Amino acid sequence: MDGATIEDGEMKLFERKQAIYKSLDEKYLVHGQRYKGQQYSQIYFARLHHLRNLLHSLVTKWKPHLEVITVLGLEESKECVIVGTIYKHMKLKPCILDEYSKERTAVPLVKPHNFLHPDDQLILEDEIGRVKLRGSLLNPTDFVTGIGLALHGMKTIEGDFLVQDLLEAGFPPQTKLPRLGEDKYVVFVSGLNVGSNIFNPLQFQLFVDHVTGHLGGENEQKMTSQIVRVVIAGNSVIIPHSVLNGQALTPEDQRKLTEPIKEVDILLTQLAAAVPLDIMPGPTDPANSFLPQQPLHRCLFPGASAYNTFFSCTNPHQFELDGFQFLGTSGQNIDDLDKYSSAQTKLEFVERTLRWRHLAPTAPNTLGCYPFTEKDPFFIENCPNVYFVGNQDKYETALLHGPEEQQVRLVCIPRFSESGVAVMLNLRDLNCHALNFSADLDS
Amino acid sequence: MTAGSVKRRGLAAEAPPKPSKRFQSGPTAPGNGNPNPSPPLNVINEMEDDLMDEDIFLEETLLKYEEDEEALRLAEDEALASRLSKWKRPALSPSYLSSSMNILFQQLEIDYVIGESNKELLPMSSGPAAILRIFGVTKEGHSVCCYVHGFEPYFYVSCPAGMSPDDISGFHQTLEVRMRESNRSSSVPRFVKRVEMVQKKSIMYYQQHEAQPFLKIVVALPTMVASCRGILERGIQIEGLGSKNFLTYESNVLFTLRFMIDCDIVGGNWIDVPAGKYKNTKASISYCQLEVDCLYSDLISHVPEGEFSKMAPFRILSFDIECAGRKGLFPEPTHDPVIQIANLVTLQGEGQPFIRNVMTLKSCSSIVGVDVMSFDKEKDILLAWRRAEALKISGFPILGRVRNSRVRVRDTTFSSRQYGIRESKDITIEGRVQFDLLQKEDVHHSIISDLQNGNSETRRRLAVYCLKDAYLPQRLLDKLMYIYNYVEMARVTGVPISFLLARGQSIKVLSQLLRKAKQKNLVIPNIKGQGSGQETFEGATVLEAKTGFYEKPIATLDFASLYPSIMMAYNLCYCTLLTPENARQMNLPAESINRTPSGDSFVKSELQKGILPEILEELLAARKRAKADLKEAKNPFEKAVLDGRQLALKISANSVYGFTGATIGQLPCLEISSSVTSYGRQMIEHTKKLVEERFTTLADYEHNAQVIYGDTDSVMVQFGVSTVEAAMKLGKEAAEYISGTFRKPIKLEFEKVYYPYLLISKKRYAGLYWSNPNKFDKMDTKGIETVRRDNCLLVKNLVTECLHKILIDRDVSGAVQYVKNTVSDLLMSRVDLSLLVITKGLTKTGDDYAVKAAHVELAERMRKRDAATAPNVGDRVPYVIIKAAKGAKAYERSEDPIYVLENNIPIDSQYYLENQLQKPLLRIFEPILKNAQQELFKGKHTRNLKNSTPSNSGIMKFAKKQLSCLGCKALISEADRTLCTHCKGREAELYCKTVANVAELEVLFGRLWTQCQECQGSLHQDVLCTSRDCPIFYRRKKAQKDMAEAMMQLDRWEF
Repeated sequence: MDGATIEDGEMKLFERKQAIYKSLDEKYLVHGQRYKGQQYSQIYFARLHHLRNLLHSLVTKWKPHLEVITVLGLEESKECVIVGTIYKHMKLKPCILDEYSKERTAVPLVKPHNFLHPDDQLILEDEIGRVKLRGSLLNPTDFVTGIGLALHGMKTIEGDFLVQDLLEAGFPPQTKLPRLGEDKYVVFVSGLNVGSNIFNPLQFQLFVDHVTGHLGGENEQKMTSQIVRVVIAGNSVIIPHSVLNGQALTPEDQRKLTEPIKEVDILLTQLAAAVPLDIMPGPTDPANSFLPQQPLHRCLFPGASAYNTFFSCTNPHQFELDGFQFLGTSGQNIDDLDKYSSAQTKLEFVERTLRWRHLAPTAPNTLGCYPFTEKDPFFIENCPNVYFVGNQDKYETALLHGPEEQQVRLVCIPRFSESGVAVMLNLRDLNCHALNFSADLDS
Repeated sequence: MTAGSVKRRGLAAEAPPKPSKRFQSGPTAPGNGNPNPSPPLNVINEMEDDLMDEDIFLEETLLKYEEDEEALRLAEDEALASRLSKWKRPALSPSYLSSSMNILFQQLEIDYVIGESNKELLPMSSGPAAILRIFGVTKEGHSVCCYVHGFEPYFYVSCPAGMSPDDISGFHQTLEVRMRESNRSSSVPRFVKRVEMVQKKSIMYYQQHEAQPFLKIVVALPTMVASCRGILERGIQIEGLGSKNFLTYESNVLFTLRFMIDCDIVGGNWIDVPAGKYKNTKASISYCQLEVDCLYSDLISHVPEGEFSKMAPFRILSFDIECAGRKGLFPEPTHDPVIQIANLVTLQGEGQPFIRNVMTLKSCSSIVGVDVMSFDKEKDILLAWRRAEALKISGFPILGRVRNSRVRVRDTTFSSRQYGIRESKDITIEGRVQFDLLQKEDVHHSIISDLQNGNSETRRRLAVYCLKDAYLPQRLLDKLMYIYNYVEMARVTGVPISFLLARGQSIKVLSQLLRKAKQKNLVIPNIKGQGSGQETFEGATVLEAKTGFYEKPIATLDFASLYPSIMMAYNLCYCTLLTPENARQMNLPAESINRTPSGDSFVKSELQKGILPEILEELLAARKRAKADLKEAKNPFEKAVLDGRQLALKISANSVYGFTGATIGQLPCLEISSSVTSYGRQMIEHTKKLVEERFTTLADYEHNAQVIYGDTDSVMVQFGVSTVEAAMKLGKEAAEYISGTFRKPIKLEFEKVYYPYLLISKKRYAGLYWSNPNKFDKMDTKGIETVRRDNCLLVKNLVTECLHKILIDRDVSGAVQYVKNTVSDLLMSRVDLSLLVITKGLTKTGDDYAVKAAHVELAERMRKRDAATAPNVGDRVPYVIIKAAKGAKAYERSEDPIYVLENNIPIDSQYYLENQLQKPLLRIFEPILKNAQQELFKGKHTRNLKNSTPSNSGIMKFAKKQLSCLGCKALISEADRTLCTHCKGREAELYCKTVANVAELEVLFGRLWTQCQECQGSLHQDVLCTSRDCPIFYRRKKAQKDMAEAMMQLDRWEF
């Protein structure tokens, strides 16, 4: 650290910069809807509808000479294009029926990292038909159930579809990147996991003090004053599920339950007093589990929610900051892809969702989601400028360039409780870097 | 609107089976007046089908001319014709066409018809004769139907003393006259074709002389065997000898079996018809590609070994018929139309069906990979089906369509329907048990009719279901390797495959016995039916079980194939049995006789080797070979065949004992069976004695061994050592030592150690099974409640979990706690409803039941509520027991689970506690826990009770809904919305609870509904399935309901 300013004996005061914020979470709100017994077919229907319109228009440029037909209209050995939803048949996919039909094994199964198997098979389905896909072009490990594709190929004698080429929905269109003449930072943090035994209060206090400008020298403080927003991307608290077994809580259990939440509230209050703050729910938070997860209830944070800088948001969370488009999740969508497909890095998964134009293709198949009827809110209409994912193993980032000059900054935010790392993103140039608060100074 | 439907699922292997007298399709059918349940296999005193031949005259079986015409007309329809050509079998090569090569084929079915005897092959005979038909497939895949001529039905009688060859012609004439009298309607020129004197020996009792004269009586037609037997048993006059009653021999052998035995043909083996010895039939009457006539003496039968152990590429049709029925009734052919038929044809040995098609009534949208054929008239579907099938299957759909004695009406629809019924075999019944595991989807009756009455899209959906159903039996067949196992069983025991499906165990033993007897020139008397079924003999011994929970290793000593070994060791057989009388007369030396512990005597093998021991030796030697080959075998098909064989051999060996003990079987001989069990008892006792005498501290062993339990063929020993390894060592030592004291081939083997071991009572135990000292193999349980249908799932889960905790985790207190928690959950109405559902099949309507049964009463009540959705006869009725007025009988308290879910009706937890959980749990815990009853079912955990308030009860109509505080249930005003002022401070805590509950429901909802999507095979269409046999059906329903409630709850916490 640079100690020069301290020698001056006099602290320079910096004014925190402001940015214009606009929440775009509305499409993720389920609040007020009545569940009327609908099933999941409708969300698939809506999804296919969005994607089909899109893909159809692309196909005319992609394979202008080919006819687009439905799965049922396939004719043997006739080249054509079909559009539909991918279904991946997986041998190892856990099945709720196993709880009933399989004998309990004496030896507990080792939980595999993911459920891939060489025999996995891809199937394309449209509103009424299904066809098995063949050909070396499609590697089942790269795809998951729920994505929409256009495929060029033909029906084989066996009645399968031999794929010769494939078309994804591709990068969404992007509005022109605004120009910003000055540095403005957004800080991302996720996975505080307050309430777990690995949570280190000192570490997070350091973070809070840093962001609020109570630490560091002039340079540092200058920089922190340029932080216009903090986004907490899920898993702030861990709720001990053992105490929630439906019975009345003992005072002891009550304390166990509410203590971590109070602790978070105290920290958030400090933050909110200094900087605008978005908090998103994650899988461990006291929130519902279906995506989109609904905002954490204000009653959980009586202190922080008193500030108008405190925003409780949905997960996924979408907003606009000085004209920059942000989109992000607390990580479930990417973690689920990791279970049911494979890629070199987590960033690759993130990139795929953009190309598929779908934030969470595995929902509802393996990722719980609300049974929407009219729409599929996870369909990505516009390309964000920043696309972030919380609760990942490590910090990763990349600047992605789309074919139509789209520019997207992808960020994987690591779990803070394990890494002590927060991520700082400069709006001006979309550059970003890690802020390490690891108490272990060696690393 | 019509409702109600039947789904028939069937599976027809290649050759059309004989006209099954049983109606074996999915549900039993009162409509046909023949709800004939299949007799259980493996029961010693099983009721056999009467072994009766049934003569069927060829002309009767031919289709009426115009019907065939119609089928042809339809086939001329271009579209259909092109399809039919696709299904054609491979074309015949020129050498087949010119009849210049041997026809080598695997036979799959043999039956016979009565026709005019073949003039060309048998110039000497005339009149009607039995013609055997062998159906099969060549290795190229050609279908073959071979007509075998010249084989005549016959049987034996013992020749009365004093009868000389000169008396035969007189006897013949008398018999002919008597036969004519009792068969007046028959136009056969001669009933008794020949009477010959032959030298044979009866299989019964040890006899010193070599052979005696017997009369072989050859009759014209197979059914005449029975009538001729009757005449001879009742007695006839013989000149010079007076009236004589005859004991007949081998008069109960079915004609086809007789033929197979005499020609050395075993079920499913390969047969060669040499070139030049066969002629193509003049008028083809089957749809087989090769249809030839030949003489029985020209057939060459191959032993199924080496090259001939393979399987021909025969085709398997699996189909499903959907019909639209009427409200509340089992569909009847005369009223309810068949609307769809799905067919899948697979080549044996291949994974995927090569033909898939659906025939539908009215138009239907296309399905990928499936040939959809639509027809306007029901009649056309059925004709097309038959037509198509005629080409696909080698068999004989039209000829195979044999009259069913119970159904006389013969309009087109009906007979075709019947034809469908005919082909449903036992497999479907056995299979049904498995359907639940295979996640069968069920579409409700009313939905079927709706789908049919909709447009081509909705009919397409129905067709997809229909196809899926048709695929199920096929998949099942593959999975369980039925084909391999059945063919191997047929080959081992020598009976046609169809016998295995339709008949019991004893025909298999009889077939082997007859074959063996024939080699030895022995004949088997027909003495069946003498027993009343009441005679019993002492069964196997079970040593007193010293119940308890053993935490030291228990070694298990097993007798390998005990009963067969005993029969071999002591030469027990029909032909070695000495009657007390004979024993005295023959004055045999004592050392050549075995007196069995039950007091019977058998001669030793030096005097006469028994046939049964010989059969057993061969079976067990063959099994040993098969097992050795199995170890060597590399490719999975070979493995499947060999495994099928070794299993068939094992089952066959074990059924020999049962055959001798079946008092209403074919050839009961209680002297043999009671001797076997008495030896068995002796051996168990002997083992116990030896173990406890030898393994003692006096003999320098660390502990005194103790036999804690012994059952039929195994003995459990506690050697007192504390490691598995030490117990294994001692177990091996004991097995070797004791084996040495037995007569060969009786052998005691050491296989496994149980550690720990929970011995509950006789035939009930559980333990961890160790076959090596390093790691246990599995948890082994016997006689403990697991999957019985009249138990609810909760019982099974609890029992399994407890055993797991006790045996594997060694955590008895954990198991106790688990039971307590579950009991408490049950009393607090927190148990998932699907775990409480009890299911029973509805076989008759309420009035037919003598005793009132819960499921029948419920079905009645549901019919009153809504006849369209009420369960029909043949359906499984799921129910739960609900709280009702005091003193109400259990059967009055049954209720439809869906109704219970929808109306929040409280469950009678006390019933579940007392009638379902208590017994099985106490059984487990009593050996472990003092005061188990007190501890598990009486403690503090049983104090809290909670019942849901029914939403449909009368009083609720007057109740006014008012908001209550989510924290303390105090009534609150509209303005407060969620919490009372008192609970405000606990807002965060209470919210956490609510939201955690919601999160859990959501996870469940997601998993359940996506699973159903998976099962139905479509993402974009709603799940229609209403299968109540599906374990998640109720949970899925409940998840929907809970979801709606959870959303409302959350909404109360305004944001």
